[in-house]
Amino acid sequence: MIEVKNLTKKYGSFTAVDNISFTVGEGEILGFLGPNGAGKTTTMNMMTGFISSSSGSIKINGFDMLDDALNAKKQLGYMPDVPPLYGDMTVREYLEFVFDIKKVKKSDRQTMLQNICALTGITPMLTRLCSHLSKGYKQRVSLAQALVGMPDVLILDEPTSGLDPKQIIDIRNLIKRLGEHRTIIISSHILSEVSAVCDRVIIINEGKIAAMDTVENFSKDGSASKQIVSVKCGFEEAKDILSNWNAVDKVYLKNEEEGVSTLKVVAKEGKDIREIIFAAFAQREIPIIMLKDAENSLEEAFLNIIKGEYTPENKKPSEDEE
Amino acid sequence: MIAILKKELRTYFTTITGYAFLGFFTLITGYFFISQNINSGYANYNDTLTGSLIMFLLLIPILTMRSFSEEARQKTDQLLYCSPIKITDIVLGKFLAAVILFMIGIVITAVFPCILNFYAANENMDVGLTVAGLIGYFLMGVCFISVGIFISVTTDNQLVAAASTFAVIFMLLMMDNIAQSAPTGSKASLIFTLAAVLAVSVYVYITTKNIAVGIVFALLGGLVISALFLIRPNIYDGAIASVLGWFSVLRRFENSYLGIINISDIVYYITFSSLFIYFTVNTIEKRRWA
Repeated sequence: MIEVKNLTKKYGSFTAVDNISFTVGEGEILGFLGPNGAGKTTTMNMMTGFISSSSGSIKINGFDMLDDALNAKKQLGYMPDVPPLYGDMTVREYLEFVFDIKKVKKSDRQTMLQNICALTGITPMLTRLCSHLSKGYKQRVSLAQALVGMPDVLILDEPTSGLDPKQIIDIRNLIKRLGEHRTIIISSHILSEVSAVCDRVIIINEGKIAAMDTVENFSKDGSASKQIVSVKCGFEEAKDILSNWNAVDKVYLKNEEEGVSTLKVVAKEGKDIREIIFAAFAQREIPIIMLKDAENSLEEAFLNIIKGEYTPENKKPSEDEE
Repeated sequence: MIAILKKELRTYFTTITGYAFLGFFTLITGYFFISQNINSGYANYNDTLTGSLIMFLLLIPILTMRSFSEEARQKTDQLLYCSPIKITDIVLGKFLAAVILFMIGIVITAVFPCILNFYAANENMDVGLTVAGLIGYFLMGVCFISVGIFISVTTDNQLVAAASTFAVIFMLLMMDNIAQSAPTGSKASLIFTLAAVLAVSVYVYITTKNIAVGIVFALLGGLVISALFLIRPNIYDGAIASVLGWFSVLRRFENSYLGIINISDIVYYITFSSLFIYFTVNTIEKRRWA
């Protein structure tokens, strides 16, 4: 397990990570979410002992990263954001080198190597030079490297970036499987990934923990209570129609183009309002072009926290409709 | 440490580096052997060694330029520093790998003195003299390797590392000349010493991140040096030359050239290399703690 207390990292007057505290237990997968430059990688680099903290403490399975760094590092597997590969080694040579520096017992190596290669799907690449691998395979070898020694704690910095959709699903399943008996922290800026894999989520912004909760709690209020709807009428008219209904709390305009308005409708008390929306517009014979659940709540929480930085993404769904 | 050593040696021989080093090493030593010994019919192999010292300028950078800078560029330093190995072991592993490659070069070229020993007609080669020369030559190379390793940790660009190593080794080889042309007056020495104290204070400040410690260090040092100057100014006569002379790696080689193995020289070489290995370890630690 990992215990982080009051962790701070300062570069001169700039505070990259500001007083972060959390614990991750055994068998738990924690997700680190945050925009670029929020301090995710800095935090992970500190937890793995690559850089030091300005203040605060990190304990990995009870070993302090400052006082007992060698033992703490023995508990860890780290997959950095850039695959740390030696271009002039074959994948097999590379993994054998990692076995050496992680001081894995000679007798365990052969089976462990086979297991890791099977898990990450790199067996056919063992004899290739690392510099000749595609980005996806580099990423997988980097994951294999973190698994060497089968450490109790895995820290994975954006493990699925650069993979194709099939591989992403494979790796997610692998992480879930590994997480049954291990402590895993993954960082990501892909929300669906975090909600698919993680038990708990920490949202980091500007070096601080902006929110920390379980994935269920983030999406507790029920997604059917927030709907995106496109109707063939003006925004004011649609708003009037909907405001006649008690169950509707708020109506926002997302987009209005060529006589079609796209609205976001929020229900009172988390009710399912899909039928109400249908009934409201059907009465006035206004066609509904589209009706779908609004983004899940994790995404909403995330966007609220880092407001103003994600406007281009917000526009995307409405552009797709045309 | 063994893991790093093995990996480094393999890298030397899976890339062109090791072959380039050994090739040039043999070629240049061979050239000096032909011109100093064979063509002039003279059986002192130490002349070949002295002549070929100049090749350190080119060959040591080949050995050391990629050692840490390439790790930083490939981001593999993350792998090393997050593994359960001590920084000292990483540095020593890399250092020893370079030393071993250098030794292989010396062993290959040891064929030359053997040729001399078997075929020298008029005068026999002095084996003791040659061994002393080779030991001095080896230790000097080791010093330069430690400098090169230290420089490679300060940059992630191999070319910058190579050029800086070249420049520093050039300075070290030229140190005798620089020392001779240094001003000898006691006032100049005082200023030089004060500047040195200031430089050390700045280093102390950078390592401890504590401005008070740095200032106290500078004031105390300045006070002691000025007081000494007022009481006994004559100890400052020629101080610059003797300080710079201490850095003259070449001067130490003169003893070996003459066949003398001097304990103080060996201690000097070992101190010199250890100092730079310490600097290397310290630089990595400091960067992680900065």
